Amino acid sequence: MLNQNGLSLDQAPPIFVVFRFFFVGALFGILSGLFVLFFQETIFNAHSTEAIILTHTLTLGVMLSFMFGALFQMLPVIAGIKLTSPDLKANLLLYPFIVGIIALLFAFKLTTVSWLFLLASVLLGGSLLGIIVILLKNLFSLENHTSTSKGTTYTLLSLGIAVLFALYLTGTLAGVTEGSAYSHIKEAHYSFGLYGWIALLIISISFQVIEMFYVTPPFPKLFLNYMPATLFILLLLASLVGIFYPSIWLLADILLALLLGSYAVLTLKRFTQRKRPLTDATVWFWRLGLSSLLLSMLSLLLTLFIDYDPIKALSYIAFSSFGLSIVFAMFYKIVPFLTWFHLNSQGYISPPMMHQIIHPKMMMKHLYIHTATIVTFIFAIFIPQLIFLAGLLTILSFGWAGYQVVNAHLLYRKTQKTGKKFNMGSMY
Amino acid sequence: MPEFKKIYLDAREMEHPEPLEKAMKIIQSLDDNSYLYMLHRKNPLPLIDLAKGHLLKVLTQEDENNQWHILICKNNTIDLSDFLNA
Repeated sequence: MLNQNGLSLDQAPPIFVVFRFFFVGALFGILSGLFVLFFQETIFNAHSTEAIILTHTLTLGVMLSFMFGALFQMLPVIAGIKLTSPDLKANLLLYPFIVGIIALLFAFKLTTVSWLFLLASVLLGGSLLGIIVILLKNLFSLENHTSTSKGTTYTLLSLGIAVLFALYLTGTLAGVTEGSAYSHIKEAHYSFGLYGWIALLIISISFQVIEMFYVTPPFPKLFLNYMPATLFILLLLASLVGIFYPSIWLLADILLALLLGSYAVLTLKRFTQRKRPLTDATVWFWRLGLSSLLLSMLSLLLTLFIDYDPIKALSYIAFSSFGLSIVFAMFYKIVPFLTWFHLNSQGYISPPMMHQIIHPKMMMKHLYIHTATIVTFIFAIFIPQLIFLAGLLTILSFGWAGYQVVNAHLLYRKTQKTGKKFNMGSMY
Repeated sequence: MPEFKKIYLDAREMEHPEPLEKAMKIIQSLDDNSYLYMLHRKNPLPLIDLAKGHLLKVLTQEDENNQWHILICKNNTIDLSDFLNA
């Protein structure tokens, strides 16, 4: 009666679904570094084509890849959602998504080739809206919601809205729509993308994982129950009212900065209240990410009243640091866990322990590289020559992450080939 | 009733992934006369999933202090509820 095939694994996605997303994210990260080398300090001007290309490589190629990989892994655990055919769904998302991003990046550069915008719209719009609808359908059908599952619902709604706005923008750039509300929709698009998707997803997931992983006190109930909805409604109201009164975004940005800033302070405080304050790289990635969020929100507030380009650039860099630092914190929790879990579920006697899959020293080295990357970018605002070093460090940082995925994959395969299986239930 | 050896694991203040790794080590060492008694601040679903997948007997119960008691044994003839809070 030994279960040689291991677990039914109802709650876990196929390991390669997650690995594939993470590896693609790392590849787009390396591409971001190459863009930094080519575009140099033009990336600090948010309105330049180069900055738009880099922003979409980071937000779509890197963040969305890592975040969807994490979502495929975490949704079954945090919300009890069991996706049918996860491998098929992941592939239907991933491949059009990759081609769509590449088409979009070329479309930004070759603005005269309008069909590229249409191709990108079909591929990105189709794949993203498809998976959003599937995930939302699962979330809406849940009988018992947690603050994390509720937050994830708002997050996916925000992403859906950001995609719909993006379709309007690409439609305008392709000459399909007139684009009379282009500027307003552009503001709503990146607000929903950055705050409604990236920030809110991190916040929603953190409600569960900070307490669970790091043994901290739980978040205040008021915050758990109302923060995601408040953020979402604020973005929605600003987008609607902004059509008639564009200056509403000033008030919305102030409220967003206060909300996200208070989240950063509250979560940083939680890290000082841990019961067993053992420090590993993931804790520092979280601290760096939250401090970056605080810095980004402070600089956002300043930019509303002071027109000084370096502060704007600081705000962008700090927000990127927020997203990427926490993506790496989660990455270093997920990859070893998933490898270990799948091998254990298949009954191997001594699968590698989690710290052997990615050694803590390797994580710490990545933390140093990542921190150096962020600091170099900030200095490069004032010393433009440093942008080359920042680009090289970006390539090294994502190359490091990509190597960890490949290494975990090889270790997994090696254990499957050479490992002996445990005979736990054979006598019954 | 024969004497059953209780292997106790208090994971309430352990950080991820220590509880899971320690519990799996203990599970692999269980014989017919021993069981794991684990205390955890959460219901460790991955561990329960793994144990059930290996056809082990599992009992979980949350107490009034929101602490989870997780009992796992290899011997299917054991009634784990006899050992709850023991």
